[in-house]
Amino acid sequence: MEKKTAYPFCAIVGQEEMKRALILNMINPLLGGVLIRGEKGTAKSTAVRALADVLPERAEVEGCRYACDPSDDSFWCDECREAAIPKKELFRRMRVVNLPVSATEDRVVGTIDIEHAIKHGEKRFEPGILAEANRNILYVDEINLLEDHLVDVLLDSAAMGVNSIEREGISYTHPSRFILVGTMNPEEGDLRPQLLDRFGLVVNIQAEDDIGRRIEVVKRRLAYEDDPEAFARLYSGEQKMLGERIEDAKRRLRSVTYSEDALKLIAKISVSLDVDGHRADITMLKTALTNAAFRGAQSVGREDIAAAARLALPHRMRKRPFDESALDLFDIEKMIEKSDFYDE
Amino acid sequence: MMNDSFYPFSAVVGQEDIKLALVLNLINPAIGGVLISGEKGTAKSTLVRALSRLKPDTRVVSIPLGITEDRLTGGLSIESAIKKGIREFEKGLLYAADGGILYIDEVNLLSAHIVNILLTVSSMGENIVEREGISFSHSSRFALIGSMNPEEGQLKPSFLDKFGLYVEAKGEKNTEDRAEVVRRRIEYESSPRDFIEKYEAEEALLRKRIESAVRALGEIRLSEPQYALCADIAREGRCAGHRCEIVLAETARAHAAWNLKSSVDDGDIKLAARFALPHRMRALPELRPEPEESGAADASGADQNNAQDTPADLPENGDIDLNGDSGKEDTSEIGEKPNLSISSDFRIKKLLLGSGKRNKAKTSSRSGRYVKARIPVKKTNDIALDATLRAAALYQRSRERDGNAIAVRQSDIREKVREKRTGVTILFVVDASGSMGSMRRMRAVKGAVMALLDEAYQKRDRVGIIAFRDKGGETLLNITRSVDLAEKELRVLSTGGKTPLAAGLLHACQLLTTEKLKDPDALQYLVLISDGKANVPLMSSDARKDSSAAAERLRTLGIQSMVLDTEKGFIEYGFAKELAGLMGSTYVKLDAISKSEITSNIKEMIKIQR
Repeated sequence: MEKKTAYPFCAIVGQEEMKRALILNMINPLLGGVLIRGEKGTAKSTAVRALADVLPERAEVEGCRYACDPSDDSFWCDECREAAIPKKELFRRMRVVNLPVSATEDRVVGTIDIEHAIKHGEKRFEPGILAEANRNILYVDEINLLEDHLVDVLLDSAAMGVNSIEREGISYTHPSRFILVGTMNPEEGDLRPQLLDRFGLVVNIQAEDDIGRRIEVVKRRLAYEDDPEAFARLYSGEQKMLGERIEDAKRRLRSVTYSEDALKLIAKISVSLDVDGHRADITMLKTALTNAAFRGAQSVGREDIAAAARLALPHRMRKRPFDESALDLFDIEKMIEKSDFYDE
Repeated sequence: MMNDSFYPFSAVVGQEDIKLALVLNLINPAIGGVLISGEKGTAKSTLVRALSRLKPDTRVVSIPLGITEDRLTGGLSIESAIKKGIREFEKGLLYAADGGILYIDEVNLLSAHIVNILLTVSSMGENIVEREGISFSHSSRFALIGSMNPEEGQLKPSFLDKFGLYVEAKGEKNTEDRAEVVRRRIEYESSPRDFIEKYEAEEALLRKRIESAVRALGEIRLSEPQYALCADIAREGRCAGHRCEIVLAETARAHAAWNLKSSVDDGDIKLAARFALPHRMRALPELRPEPEESGAADASGADQNNAQDTPADLPENGDIDLNGDSGKEDTSEIGEKPNLSISSDFRIKKLLLGSGKRNKAKTSSRSGRYVKARIPVKKTNDIALDATLRAAALYQRSRERDGNAIAVRQSDIREKVREKRTGVTILFVVDASGSMGSMRRMRAVKGAVMALLDEAYQKRDRVGIIAFRDKGGETLLNITRSVDLAEKELRVLSTGGKTPLAAGLLHACQLLTTEKLKDPDALQYLVLISDGKANVPLMSSDARKDSSAAAERLRTLGIQSMVLDTEKGFIEYGFAKELAGLMGSTYVKLDAISKSEITSNIKEMIKIQR
């Protein structure tokens, strides 16, 4: 089947927060993924699918079922570890791996290879979705409808970056480090607290209010449907620039610094919000560092912390009924503004 | 795989209780492990994973949540049977864990069947496998370590008891410490190897100290009076069985060894009690305040009750220091039985517990977690391949194989037994409008919800609340089984305004329909608490006509329901009764609007229809 040219990421109108959150995760896969909350028809899945096309190809070990990175042996699968060097490399783009809500557990974690067992009388592991997702984007649409036991296995892998299988006569462990991207419509119920907390960032999106922008959304969509390839060509320059900017930010991420003031401010925000545990603080600083890298700065500034707070906090504040949580975020922004923070 | 890149134990900021409990278990495995319960993101599992580096000869075997029975207990080796034609036992994780630590992250999510196996094996210290033509047994003694977030549900008491100790994880509250947590984490992530290297000296010190404590342990014994003290503590805590005394004694010994002392003092026992008792203490009837049953006092009563019982305020004092010796805190002479009482001297608070057994229903659909296999009763499309192969493997020598390695016949087919958390979903739809006594009504409902959730651990019941007032229906509490979550979400209740009954009912339809998609096996109940006097229309201009229409919709969706009529006053309109007729629901006129009145009516309904 011929793959239809995907809608270009840069052609998505508005939804800046969502785009920012996705881009930051591409730069720094350790941020912990994005949960996108919003109504239907707000380009959620379009954006996720389009994202992978922005990045240039990257190296994988040829024939490896987990797309191991040839240059980083600390996360190799057992096969790559045991294999004789030199390894052949293969260049491929990052992929978006789908986890459908209706998936069965054996397809998700992997299972015993039936054919091999019957033909050869040997047990062999048949990798599942969590294997495919290694070094890729794991995309779960309507993640709040995912069955409890699937959420459990997802939690296990997301926490450790490893999928451990002890089932159906199979005992096997393989790397499963993925960028978790979930979407949900909050009207259809909430996520379990444990899974919610695993998401580094959360964005709430709404359809555009502005008439002019709404018209632009429709125009672009029609132009794309009409001739996907011609449409994609229109944006190829912009796409390439974004890709290079992300690659550049990736390279510079390690050298971005943060001041004591920045760290204290982050801790102060968390204390004042009375968040559970420490994940909020850690994610905020990581996000701020990544955001600084993306905008080309050397160190974390006020605006990076503000951006990080907007993305990392909404799902970690204790919610009060009949209470607008937006008010709290507003307070935080004021706190950041007023802080005696030295901006370069 | 990747063990070498774990975050180092000594680099974790704070969490002294957890560290101490874990270290004591390394020193003396006879303590039997520890359950770490607490809020998310508090280094619970990080600390456990780091253990293997502190005592290199200790194996830490992790059980993934998706484990199936055959891999836990072990079973017939398919390969040996087919290739060599011999029956050979393939060892499972219980074998690997013998003499070491068995670790389960998110232990409260483990399947009931797997929990039962763990219970049996850990009380016998032996794993006995009798199936698939295999008869095999081996020793399986392990310290059980679990971590969990209580927001996702509790453990049943018999399982709790298998964990030697219990500790609470909490985030650091002061800014300096929080900043340090972040600083170290970022440093670690930017270069795990350098970070681990940096803490190696500290880790080595810790290793050495544990090593010498292990050597010292053999010489350390409790005196007769100290044994008696342990027994006293266990009795006063009304702990079932004798495990509590044993754990107290073993923990006290380990703590003495850790502090390089040659004998146990009362400080050691005191510390042991703090860790060994919380999850074992049973209700002290005379201490438990009878909850008041009416009006506003009801809700506050429930609140207090909770505050007292919540594990969150357990060990608050930070006076246990990993490096310090705790001899300072108690000076009673050894040899003489000190007069300590757990209520005043130990400041131990009982854990909030469900009492019965948690029910995970076997499900007939293909969804749910595969836990074991069985011979199918009728035709199945959910074949358990591994079990089928094991069944077939035994007969391969006598079968025609057609070029395949194995021939499978109809009689070998096994099907999967799946397990799924099911239970009853109860959705309250409550009138929070301005009519008299609505705040009282809301508080009573909150009390009822907390009471139902309290028992939800045994039945896997889930509860939600929709309130309607003013402009529409609002989900106050999304359908949940978490007491903690309910407590958090229901802290503030608002009332007042008009009565949009129809909006409330339709909101409920919507919520229950989506819930049905997620959990088709659960039984759903809707409980409407109102006097039925709607005054905000939804679709037409007639509020009562709209609520009648909404009521009929509920009926066509086949949702079981109950109407608790709160109508008061001289002239009775009977609107709620009329609605009950349209919904096809059980109708009860409430004599008093109280927590107990609501809960008892609901329990009655569920009991009849279950």
